[in-house]
Amino acid sequence: MMSAGLRDIELRSRRTELLLVATVLIFSIPLILGYGLLILSSFSKEMVTNLNPHDFIPTLRNWILFFEGRTAVFGGIRVNIWHIVLNTLIVALGVSFLVTLVGSMTGYAVSRLKFSGRKRFMALLMLLHAFPGSVMVVGIYFLYLMFLPSYQLVRFYSFFFVIVARASLEIPMATWLMKGFFDMIPWEVEWAALVDGASRFKVWRKVILPMVKPGVAAVMLFGFLAGWMDIIYVRTFLVDQTLATWIESNINAEYSYLPLVAAAGTFYLLPTIIFFLLAQRLIFTISATGVKG
Amino acid sequence: MKYYRALSKTAGIVIAIIIIIGIAAGAYYYIQSQKTTTGKLITFVPLTGDFHKDIINVGKALEQDGVKTVQFSVWSGGDPNSVMRIYGIVEAAYRINNIWKQNNINVEIKVSTRYVSNPNDVYEDYINKWSLGQAPDIMANGYTYIASLASEGYILDLTPYLNNYTSFLNQFYPTLIEAMKWKGKIYGIPQDTEARPLYIRKDVAACAGLDLSGLAEKIKNGQFTWSDLYKWALKVKESGCAPWGLIHRKGSAHPDLIQFIYAFGGKLYDEKTGKLVFDKAAVYKWFTVEKTFADHGLLPHDMMSWDWAKQIHPTVVDGKTLAFIGGTWHWFEWQTKAYYTDPKTGQQRPLTAEEVHKFFYYTLFPSGIKGKHGLTLSQPFAWMINSKAGEQNPNYDKLKDLYHELAFLVVVKASDPDIIAIHSLISGHLPVTKTAAELIKNKTWVEELKSLKIKLDPVVLNNIKGIIEKTVNPINVQFLANVTYMLEYTTFTPKHPQYPKLASLFAEALDQVLRDKMTPAQAVNFIVEKIKADPDLEKSVEIVGEIPQNWTFP
Repeated sequence: MMSAGLRDIELRSRRTELLLVATVLIFSIPLILGYGLLILSSFSKEMVTNLNPHDFIPTLRNWILFFEGRTAVFGGIRVNIWHIVLNTLIVALGVSFLVTLVGSMTGYAVSRLKFSGRKRFMALLMLLHAFPGSVMVVGIYFLYLMFLPSYQLVRFYSFFFVIVARASLEIPMATWLMKGFFDMIPWEVEWAALVDGASRFKVWRKVILPMVKPGVAAVMLFGFLAGWMDIIYVRTFLVDQTLATWIESNINAEYSYLPLVAAAGTFYLLPTIIFFLLAQRLIFTISATGVKG
Repeated sequence: MKYYRALSKTAGIVIAIIIIIGIAAGAYYYIQSQKTTTGKLITFVPLTGDFHKDIINVGKALEQDGVKTVQFSVWSGGDPNSVMRIYGIVEAAYRINNIWKQNNINVEIKVSTRYVSNPNDVYEDYINKWSLGQAPDIMANGYTYIASLASEGYILDLTPYLNNYTSFLNQFYPTLIEAMKWKGKIYGIPQDTEARPLYIRKDVAACAGLDLSGLAEKIKNGQFTWSDLYKWALKVKESGCAPWGLIHRKGSAHPDLIQFIYAFGGKLYDEKTGKLVFDKAAVYKWFTVEKTFADHGLLPHDMMSWDWAKQIHPTVVDGKTLAFIGGTWHWFEWQTKAYYTDPKTGQQRPLTAEEVHKFFYYTLFPSGIKGKHGLTLSQPFAWMINSKAGEQNPNYDKLKDLYHELAFLVVVKASDPDIIAIHSLISGHLPVTKTAAELIKNKTWVEELKSLKIKLDPVVLNNIKGIIEKTVNPINVQFLANVTYMLEYTTFTPKHPQYPKLASLFAEALDQVLRDKMTPAQAVNFIVEKIKADPDLEKSVEIVGEIPQNWTFP
């Protein structure tokens, strides 16, 4: 096995390794504490964010209220929380799909095809990635207005637009990432398929893509997370609410029942964790290929 | 020699199908839109001021124009008991639909709603979505937003409609209508208002031997000022009856503390110049009062960062302070949220109406000047109509005026006395019309409401019945009746787009004073510097007065 081989050449002593792990853990404490307290608060009648154990009064009420779509223990209105979850999923999966599709195709093109301006194109992609999404939102706003359809289609259009706009921010990075993976595949593998009469598209889909599964999984995961977590584009363009905007608009220091918001926040984390767990096997698989000389 | 094909046959077919579907969908919607534009359209109906007549005329016009369903959306936000800010519109649509049904008009209004905790979020979302045609048709939000929304053309000028509805307009308290104006035009219809009473714990006062009888009257007449309240608080502290003398709300734009400026004869807005006013003398006195309270342990040094649910409300309802600067809605909130620790069980629970009545005395905010009457402060909510109301409906370009008229009539209906009265009774806000105030005094009607015998849209009734059961009782009805007089002494925060920024500076400076990091004089100068450093504020704020040299407190 490859992992056993790696261990053989490990030069660090066990003590150094333990020290390194401990250092990483110490620096991770604020992060772990933050998530831990959020999850604990979601099962408590009071927020436990001030680290007072007496504040932890176990209850499942927050989760029941959340699944009922309530915004308060008493009063407030009910929303269809599953509808909001579905909206979030549509955006996240849409972005993930588009980023993976375009990123892997473009990555393949810049890795394999020679065309004029290729290097400039690569540099431009990097430059595009350097712009934060919030800076581009004004320009994207005008694009949105330019193609605004009739009122019957606005809702559909807003989903389509958010997915395309959000994906466009992720595609440059995905392209670079995928290019790196494609570069590792020897040209001869592809050549054989082309000689057998397969089209470029077929080669890409049936021969090359299966060999870069970890790259595809990583790009999918990053795309999913970008769509799932987005708030600026969703808030600006989407007609419907997603979990991010719903949680944000229900945080009010005076009126909100914060343990309920903590339950919503914990739920908001779940799909990311699940998606990561499902994809991690693929992401951490090291693919090794070669040809006989 | 051909090595490869750029596209497989399957991929080509898929792309071709997508293009064909796209063209077909485009053609379908084009044909649909053409269908509804044939024939002569009625684009406007002159309003007569008779609601019944007008709504029938608008309904008939819509029917003739081929409109079967009108989609309206309403957004609002706030505390969980104030949901009538959206259900008021749902109920109004239900009533209008019934009128149309009775008159064989085949048109229906459908209302979609959004209600969140944070009204400011609703305002920001409204601005974001307006240009995209996704802002709600109707929004209930704080009147302070009228200035920015009206100046940008985001909301409808209601003056032309209201010119025909003068009797409707006259039902509202005149001060509230004034609050709805921007540059002489009316941009909103009052939805609710409130007063900010000074609550005093009866049990704490009794423990310290303080006599509350006639206090409200003395404050009203200016015989009892902040100096007197300070002495009372000191007595409470010294006698060990409560750890604090005064607790108040926190945050940047909360107007509760702005009352101090008015209490010391200051002002915040100059009607003549249209500028905000920073009154150095009044703000200095406000900061000095709070600092004196804090220095003597009567007010927490970290008051501005206290937690609402864990510190502010439990301190007040558990009787750990003599006084609390709150709002009328708190009277109701204490009955629905578990802030009170029951001394028998040690468990947290809401107070009962009887307990709230037993514990709390309420009065106007005292003046800082002997002989000057007490005051309160209101921040009315307003129904505002989108200047593109109805945009999500057929033939908007041609029927725009008709949709605007309908949106206006929906808001008129949402101002029915019973709708306003229900909102007041379940949320603790004050009624905005005299007729609604009268209705609240009608015991038969209140009893019908309490027993849920009142006729409402089933959706609305189902959503508010839990709140009705918990809040509609004789004690709360009496409370609302008792505090309504405060509207005669009410003040407002300025409706200036730059006001929230100035209010944030007040909060920041006050926090520094309470924490002993600045003297009141330093804090006043800090605000002056900040105003001068911000081009928008410098242009919008007039700095008046000087820090008084010989003024002392108490």
